[in-house]
Amino acid sequence: MRCDEFRAACRQPDELGSEALAHMRACAACLNHAISVDPELMFRGLGGDIEPDGGVDAFVEGVMHEIRFRKAERIVDARHRFAPAQRWAIAAAAAVAVVSGAMFWPRSNRGIVPVNPVAIVASAPASLVVPVSSRPVVESYGSSSATIVEVPSEETSDLKVVMIFDESLPADL
Amino acid sequence: MLARLRLMRPDSAEPQDDRQLVEASRAGDSAAFEELVRRKTGKVFGLCVRILSNREDAKDVAQLVFVKLWENLGKYDASYAFDTWLYRMTSNVAIDFIRSRQSREATQNSNLRLVKTSDEPEQGREFQHREVEEVFEQVSKALSPKQKTIFVMHAMEDLQLAEIARVLGTKESTVRNHLFNARKTMQKELRRRYPEYASLWKENQA
Repeated sequence: MRCDEFRAACRQPDELGSEALAHMRACAACLNHAISVDPELMFRGLGGDIEPDGGVDAFVEGVMHEIRFRKAERIVDARHRFAPAQRWAIAAAAAVAVVSGAMFWPRSNRGIVPVNPVAIVASAPASLVVPVSSRPVVESYGSSSATIVEVPSEETSDLKVVMIFDESLPADL
Repeated sequence: MLARLRLMRPDSAEPQDDRQLVEASRAGDSAAFEELVRRKTGKVFGLCVRILSNREDAKDVAQLVFVKLWENLGKYDASYAFDTWLYRMTSNVAIDFIRSRQSREATQNSNLRLVKTSDEPEQGREFQHREVEEVFEQVSKALSPKQKTIFVMHAMEDLQLAEIARVLGTKESTVRNHLFNARKTMQKELRRRYPEYASLWKENQA
């Protein structure tokens, strides 16, 4: 497009085509003319591709380097990553270890001081104490108002869980 | 035989279109992807510079766009123009960047204006490209990230409203509204910050 053609086209700035815009971006005199017609046209003069500082080659090399780096990172990640089933197995094993440890940790080591030691002594009438299993009693509890319930568990399990309901115990025990 | 083969080669030596390069890149051809990056660098970097008004940030964002492009090549739907998809990715990354930057720069003074170093009289002097860039940088600070993106796509990238709507995944009427508001805001800012342009504007409107 020639300058005179561009200036003629500038009479209708909203309808400037891509050819006219390309001319304006390349021709300082026509950009100056366009701005005097419609100041907004100066911003339209900013269009077009821009080359990054350092050149396209350096930019492309930077991008490809980043991509190669991410590819390598993924490969290393994949090698060190556990499969979902393995992760679940590890989590389950850890959970079992924590629960078992908590159950068998001697009470004396826990630093818990009974609120009412007298009530916990195995001195209650024998008829009120329900033996929870035939295995050796680890703990005993006696109270005239206590109800002790054993939670069913598998025959092969060493764990026994009991629930003690005793309204005579303080609420903050 | 060799001569015959050579005669058949020119087709394969012709530049591939964007879709072919995408297909080859998907298949693991990194040279094809490199060519795609080379081909689109000016466009993506240009759009980033205009939206972000900062060349250093634009370089980082443009690089991130191409890395995302590589990571998401499998999601490209070849029934759409590749540039539309690329524009969408670029504008999304750039808008996200502006939003995070705005929160960082909340305390920065946004009322700085271009300091004129030229002794030339205001009237009748040549407008330099760099000066226009700086005016746009200052005036466009008043726009929201989306308004700025739409204005840049329409005014500088020469995209039609329907195309911008496709890029941003929104309605054409929404784009029109954003563009209208962007123009209004920029005119107001231009009058406030650059009265010399405003006088030009008034003469023109009259």
